Amino acid sequence: MPEPLRLFQPTSIEEAVAVLAELGDDAKVVAGATALTLLYRQRLIAPGALVSIGRIPGLKTIEVVDGELRLGALVSHREVELSPVVRGSIPVVADAFGKVANVRVRNAATVGGVMAESDYASDPPAVFVALDAVVDVQGSNGKRSIPASEFFVAFYETALEHDEIVIGVRVPVPPAGTGAVYHKFVTRSSEDRPCVGVAGVVRLHADGTVADLRVAVGAAAETPQRFRDTEALAIGKPLDADLIAQVADAYADQVDTLDDMRGSAWYRTEMVRVWVRRAIESAAAAPAR
Amino acid sequence: MTDRRAQGEVTATEDGRLAIPAMLNGRQTTLVARPWHTLLETLRDQEGLYGVREGCGVGMCGACTVMLDGEPVSSCLVLAPQVAGREIRTVEGLAAPDGTLSDLQQAFIDHTAFQCSYCTSGFLITAERLAEEHPDASREEIRHYLAGNLCRCGSYVKILDAVADLLERRRAGRTAD
Ligand SMILES: Cc1cc2nc3c(=O)[nH]c(=O)nc-3n(C[C@H](O)[C@H](O)[C@H](O)COP(=O)(O)OP(=O)(O)OC[C@H]3O[C@@H](n4cnc5c(N)ncnc54)[C@H](O)[C@@H]3O)c2cc1C
Ligand code: FES
Ligand code: FES
Repeated sequence: MPEPLRLFQPTSIEEAVAVLAELGDDAKVVAGATALTLLYRQRLIAPGALVSIGRIPGLKTIEVVDGELRLGALVSHREVELSPVVRGSIPVVADAFGKVANVRVRNAATVGGVMAESDYASDPPAVFVALDAVVDVQGSNGKRSIPASEFFVAFYETALEHDEIVIGVRVPVPPAGTGAVYHKFVTRSSEDRPCVGVAGVVRLHADGTVADLRVAVGAAAETPQRFRDTEALAIGKPLDADLIAQVADAYADQVDTLDDMRGSAWYRTEMVRVWVRRAIESAAAAPAR
Repeated sequence: MTDRRAQGEVTATEDGRLAIPAMLNGRQTTLVARPWHTLLETLRDQEGLYGVREGCGVGMCGACTVMLDGEPVSSCLVLAPQVAGREIRTVEGLAAPDGTLSDLQQAFIDHTAFQCSYCTSGFLITAERLAEEHPDASREEIRHYLAGNLCRCGSYVKILDAVADLLERRRAGRTAD
């Protein structure tokens, strides 16, 4: 192991950001450490300093304010899964975090960690993208907010500058009558990462035509995939089997699927077709909230 | 209330290692580790707690499960300095100080819920928390909660029996009180 490795334990966001600004790429933020420990121990990264943000106060809040669900960066996956506030406002968020890995990883992994890690095969990102969530970050130049759909840039790459940390995620609570689901399709063991994960959000008018339809596909490509032009085609039309198939086919055509041990690119394309259809169907049938 | 954080300051030792104050199985202690040491390594190599076991080393098997502030985590995925000021419980902390096994440990023995027993300490820690969190868990809920703990010997059915029986026994104990 490379020596020396310096440890910083800042107690404010400003202090953490100052260390990052000073040390540049040599410093790595640590939150739950579930991803960082692996990368580090497998020598995929060799930071000279760790900036452990676990003692910064104020990053563990879960609340609904101004029609938004706000999750602090240090909230654990398990806390999201069990939170009555999350379950009572946007249950699909609790559901998606509850589908991550196993209870041990969920106890340690954080909201900020899963965002900053930008692993293509994580579950929460697709849900955040489908729900038009916003990621709040803070760096030397102050705070800024980045839409989740622009936050994930590429494989393990985000819109974060090296001196910025994620401080939280805000998710607009969908209007009453909206159904939202997350389907995690696994091809190996039950607690594996997804081969394909699909988040679907649907709201219908009283006459059965589409008022709102949003679909994001995770784990199939480098970043969560959402096609607004395709979604827009559905607005105002009756949500019947033809329309659903049209959207599912359009997603299957447009997602540039990748190959890994959980499925080939061809297989993923077919699974995108199946799971986008099922996500729309089940979101349309989901209890109105 | 004492401030956890005030007690949790990591300091450097003379030879450049870290001194990490933590509660370990009910006693205040100072773990000594390099910043890159995992909690798993520190507990085994420094504290001699060999009930904490390494299986996969990547968070998938649960052999290394310990409780951190009351919640099960993979100690192979925790960096030692992260536990400063926090409370760790390992399988060694389940039995009473006089060595009497806990009701959960006894249930595993009564049901022979192991073969080689490599996975047992991880299952015990996870099941201990399950029993606290979901005293009325159904068999299905127990399966779901324990799904991330792997047993190479395939003792799953017996493990399920043991945990289901424990919950039953604790429920009976509660109503008797
Ligand atoms: C065995 C295993 C199985 C898993 N399975 C799944 C799964 O099925 N689905 C799923 O979605 N996830 C899964 N994960 C979890 C996930 O991919 C990450 O490990 C986890 O979300 C990272 O969170 P963390 O808080 O532990 O981050 P850390 O490991 O602490 O950090 C991860 C990265 O983000 C950076 N970082 C952390 N917090 C911040 C912040 N606030 N601001 C800026 N940068 C930050 C770190 O520098 C690091 O680069 C699994 C993990 C393991 C170990
Ligand atoms: S050794 Fe830690 S989970 Fe397998
Ligand atoms: S008893 Fe051998 S691994 Fe579980």
